[in-house]
Amino acid sequence: MEKDKFSVRDLDLFYGSNHALKKINLQIPERAVTALIGPSGCGKSSFLRCLNRMNDFIPGCSVKGNVELDGSDIYDPGTDLIHLRRRVGMVFQRPNPFPMSIFDNVAYGPRLHGVRDRSSLRDIVEESLRVSALWTEVRDILHSPALALSGGQQQRLCIARAVAVQPEVLLMDEPTSALDPMATARIEELVRELRTRYTVVIVTHNMQQAARISDITDFFLSGEMIESGPTQQMFTSPKDKRTEDYITGRFG
Amino acid sequence: MVNLTGRKEFDESLQKIEQDLLKLGSLAEDAISNSIWALQKQDDTLTLKVIEGDDILDELTQQINEQALMLIARFQPVALDLRTISSILHMATDLERIGDLGSGVAKVARRISHEPLIKPLIDIPRMGERIREMIDASLKAFMNRDCALAREVCAMDDEVDDLDRQIFRELLMLMMQNPRNIEQAMHLILISRNLERAGDHVTNLCEHIVYMTTGAFVKAGDFRRPQRGKEG
Repeated sequence: MEKDKFSVRDLDLFYGSNHALKKINLQIPERAVTALIGPSGCGKSSFLRCLNRMNDFIPGCSVKGNVELDGSDIYDPGTDLIHLRRRVGMVFQRPNPFPMSIFDNVAYGPRLHGVRDRSSLRDIVEESLRVSALWTEVRDILHSPALALSGGQQQRLCIARAVAVQPEVLLMDEPTSALDPMATARIEELVRELRTRYTVVIVTHNMQQAARISDITDFFLSGEMIESGPTQQMFTSPKDKRTEDYITGRFG
Repeated sequence: MVNLTGRKEFDESLQKIEQDLLKLGSLAEDAISNSIWALQKQDDTLTLKVIEGDDILDELTQQINEQALMLIARFQPVALDLRTISSILHMATDLERIGDLGSGVAKVARRISHEPLIKPLIDIPRMGERIREMIDASLKAFMNRDCALAREVCAMDDEVDDLDRQIFRELLMLMMQNPRNIEQAMHLILISRNLERAGDHVTNLCEHIVYMTTGAFVKAGDFRRPQRGKEG
């Protein structure tokens, strides 16, 4: 963990009149896994979506404050959103492969960003599938429909698709909540490996998962960031009583 | 996430383990008090009772360990819950060792139960009494999550160490006066040393209590008077 990838200052988010995030101040370190935990409706997914401006799509949503990626504010009017989302990729709760072949799913992003050369595309697809630990399972069926894969494979395909455009950050919104324990274990293992190359921010409802895979844990409650610290410390000696009560299952 | 039923079951199981730990504590306390009493009264029946009672302590310790591991496996406790279970595991070991030391005292007491004592026993019973008080206070500190009391108990061990040194000096004099005193004096020194080590285990208990309550690792020495070199 050398430096901060994201630096968030006084971030407020409103859905219409609903004040969903209140004065969030948070640093997200580079090349580490940061887990966001908290009960449903605490604002952790909203916060995650602020990091690549996915909230822009939600009608009535407005954001105040600073979100700096490598020192420049992504809410600056001049920000190129396509470029931002290329740098900050996202993986969602339910695997959502496109209804096309495995190959085309992974090649989709690079093609969109102008890669036309077939052999470069093949290299990118192979490399991305290797990174997402799916290559050995799909190398011989690259042109089969992606929707024929199992749920866990589909989720790893979505990670490959996110990785294919060479992002710097991967945002994951409960990436294993729709998967069985084995597939979950594969994804968790993958997340641990991804942190050597990417900054990973993961929202999870499963606290044991946060404890297992993250380096830093941030606890959200009712739109506020209550406590942020090294995962080891958060799960052994949290400083705030509310964190303690939440992670020990006393509420939530 | 632990649902409400899970939390309830966890709390109930943890309470049961805490009760067992308190029981283990009072058994360890008895082992020390009874072995000293038996030494004073040269009572063979009581020494035997202490020695045989050690098995009960071992079994209870084993039971506490198993229950604690079961809780870890089933509920993956974190934060205060995790620190509590980890401290209980350590404390059970320390209490079991205190029981062993009590039983060690009883074994030595048996060896000298049929000969006249070379001196009236004053400081050894006093040491035993201090240890008993320390165990008692540390169990209170555990129940009430009372760090301040745990720290006070650590300081009490200074007196135990002083008594151990005093006993050693006194018995050394008796040995120098008459070589026939040597055998029994050696036995009494062994008893004093057992008690001194029991005191150290009680300070361990207190370190675990402070960790459990605050999450900070502390050394009992921090709450005691500064050590005077490396003697004794």
